[in-house]
Amino acid sequence: MATTERTGEQRAWPTLAVPSPTPSITVPSTDNPDILEINLGPNHPSTHGVLRLVVNLDGEIVVGLRNELGYVHTGIEKNIEQKTYWKAITYVPRMDYLSFFSGEVAFCMAVEKLLELEVPRRAEYLRVIFQELTRLHSHLIFLGTGSVDLGGIALLFYCFRDRDYVLDLFEMVTGQRMHPRYGQVGGVAEDIPRGFDRKARQTIAYLRGRIDEYEDLIGQNPIWRQRTVGVGVMPPEFAIQMAQSGPNVRASGIPWDLRTANGGYGAYRELDYQPVLGRNGDVFDRFWVRVQEMRASLDLIEKCLDGLPEGPHISDDRKVVLPPRHELHTSMESLIHHFKIVTEGYRVPPGEVYAPIESARGEFGFYMISDGSAKPWRARLRPPSFVTLSSLAALATGHYLADLIAILASIDPVMGDCDR
Amino acid sequence: MPEPIRAISQPTWGDPDLDALASLTEALGEGGVVTHKIDRDELTIVVAPERWVEAATHLRDAEGYDFLSDVVTADWLGYGGDVAGYWGTEAFGGRDLNRSGSWGNAAVPKALGDKRFSVSCHLLKLRTVDPGEHRRVRLQAWLDDGEPIATLIPVYPSADYHEREAWDMMGVRFTGHPNLVRILLPDYWEGHPHRKDSPVGGEPVQFSDEV
Amino acid sequence: MIPPAHVRRSLRATQLEDIVMTTTVDKAIAWASSNSVWPFGFGLACCAMEMIGMITSARYDVARFGSEVVRATPRQADLIIVSGRVAHKMAEPIRQLYEQMLGPKWVMAMGACSSTAGMFANYAVLQGVDKIIPVDVYVPGCPPRPEAVVEGLLTLQKKIRAGIQPAYRQQQSDA
Repeated sequence: MATTERTGEQRAWPTLAVPSPTPSITVPSTDNPDILEINLGPNHPSTHGVLRLVVNLDGEIVVGLRNELGYVHTGIEKNIEQKTYWKAITYVPRMDYLSFFSGEVAFCMAVEKLLELEVPRRAEYLRVIFQELTRLHSHLIFLGTGSVDLGGIALLFYCFRDRDYVLDLFEMVTGQRMHPRYGQVGGVAEDIPRGFDRKARQTIAYLRGRIDEYEDLIGQNPIWRQRTVGVGVMPPEFAIQMAQSGPNVRASGIPWDLRTANGGYGAYRELDYQPVLGRNGDVFDRFWVRVQEMRASLDLIEKCLDGLPEGPHISDDRKVVLPPRHELHTSMESLIHHFKIVTEGYRVPPGEVYAPIESARGEFGFYMISDGSAKPWRARLRPPSFVTLSSLAALATGHYLADLIAILASIDPVMGDCDR
Repeated sequence: MPEPIRAISQPTWGDPDLDALASLTEALGEGGVVTHKIDRDELTIVVAPERWVEAATHLRDAEGYDFLSDVVTADWLGYGGDVAGYWGTEAFGGRDLNRSGSWGNAAVPKALGDKRFSVSCHLLKLRTVDPGEHRRVRLQAWLDDGEPIATLIPVYPSADYHEREAWDMMGVRFTGHPNLVRILLPDYWEGHPHRKDSPVGGEPVQFSDEV
Repeated sequence: MIPPAHVRRSLRATQLEDIVMTTTVDKAIAWASSNSVWPFGFGLACCAMEMIGMITSARYDVARFGSEVVRATPRQADLIIVSGRVAHKMAEPIRQLYEQMLGPKWVMAMGACSSTAGMFANYAVLQGVDKIIPVDVYVPGCPPRPEAVVEGLLTLQKKIRAGIQPAYRQQQSDA
């Protein structure tokens, strides 16, 4: 079994044209009277949330596809404009609810870019640890639900059991399993407790064994390979035209990872990380790349734990960050800062920024406009799943209906992120 | 000796691509590039709305910006003025700099454009450069309420969904878009919620005396 | 294998009161249906992840309560767990799915968003799913822990065993 290779350039790719006139919709030719138009969703057993697909079928073959989105549109961006920056962080993990901490970090990074605030090294390392834990969480759920879509129900139970171990680490540090609101502008909300290092290493060792099992389960399984190898091939040219990012584009051999682009961001600059690449850009590769990325995440977490620097876990700029509670008893200035930050919120200098990070799904960034007040003027998330779903029509047309489900599972959309 | 605090740690846009700015200015000629701004290591190029597609095509073909991150619209109604205090800007009942207790900011710098809506697209040099040389640029155009702008689908096909969302949420029309219908809201919805004069919605919370 | 003493004693019992348990038909049916509440596989947003965790994870195993049989079609399900925020666009499908369920049917509003729209007081979110379907159990949390959802399920089971009508029947009797 060929594992990852550095480049897939030498392969001959099939041509996949962007559909015309609408890139996200394929329309059947109308001369066949037997074409059936069916509706998939918004409630269907494959748990990608509420996605509705209108599919034109000729027998079992998909000849036309259209997405209907918006079934979980929550108006988060409008709500964020009404709240101060501090309170708005709570909304953000609920967008992409599988890689929730990446959302918090993206928001905090955009605000820190506007503030030109420096983040301590320890906070950067902690952010990387939890971003990678979030990536593990997302990929575990992806693998579990993806294999259920293909019929391999065993992996669902294994992955959700292992997901609990990852969430235990979040709970140990923040008290909350999902949506911990741990990311804070200036760093992270709290320092890690004393037993975290030991428990994290235990979890890493355990999960390494589990990933070996997952590789065994899906790597050589002939049924799995028959259903996924050669299905839904995404050629690199198509991927770039349709602005795909994340593991989908890496499975097609393009070494694009925001954790290493231009040196990376945060503590990734100091960690030597190589993106995981695939070769063929088919469903199998998209699954395989994510499984290998889980392994890479474990290595990254271990490196961060080994090299975790001492120091503060949040910036000490009192205009933005709450002072430690013990200071409130002795220092009048701290009390005033605390009061101002909690009631009014910290004011962010005017400007507009776009700071994308690599979430489990791809390029994930906030376009944030500040007007100088304590509330964002515009906070728009660049949704990776939204862009990914626009390529589904081209990828799935010409395949069987069962392959459509496999392709949808492999490109890993999360509807909370898509609809916001 | 404590560790020095790290420098700004956000993902970098690369050095501002002034070569692209110069070549774009030259290619579009008179009245094409209206202004530009370099702020917090980001380069924003403002072009006239009529030259939108031409500018994007030039950046893609001549400068190698082959990846469109997204197309964003923003509503600048009520932005700025003399006020930047707790309750927002003056237009919405905010505080006046000269009123007592307002502790307002100095005047907020003007936005890049003077019309109501800005349409920005974030472009990225992905495949055409060596690793470590990826650059981003923001191409921006300003529109009045009701003024349309051309679609970017012929240049970047992934703009399809972003433009539909911009139409749905902000009411910015993209001429030439093959399928400009609502994408996130139901078809029967009226209005464009992300506009500043559109209410947040919800319902008043009632506290009842019953159990 | 020899059964324990109290079981041996009860097996030797001959008095009618010791060997016959009397109950009402309603109570017997309620006991049976409370222990076999089949949920409908309906996940909307973040709460769905915790719901799936409750159902599939070995730690919070919901099979011990009889609810392991998650049906993909509403026509075979007893309990719809509305897990996640309900957008206005989704309200109509939810109502349709609810109508497709056969009685007796129960509704659990899992999480803050389906109970009262949670933190999303805005134009896009239905302010509580009880505006369109009658709810039996509300489980607060954002998202609620799987144990909290299990407690909601157990509360529902207690409610069924106590003989309380499902919420839609109460609505019908009110109307």
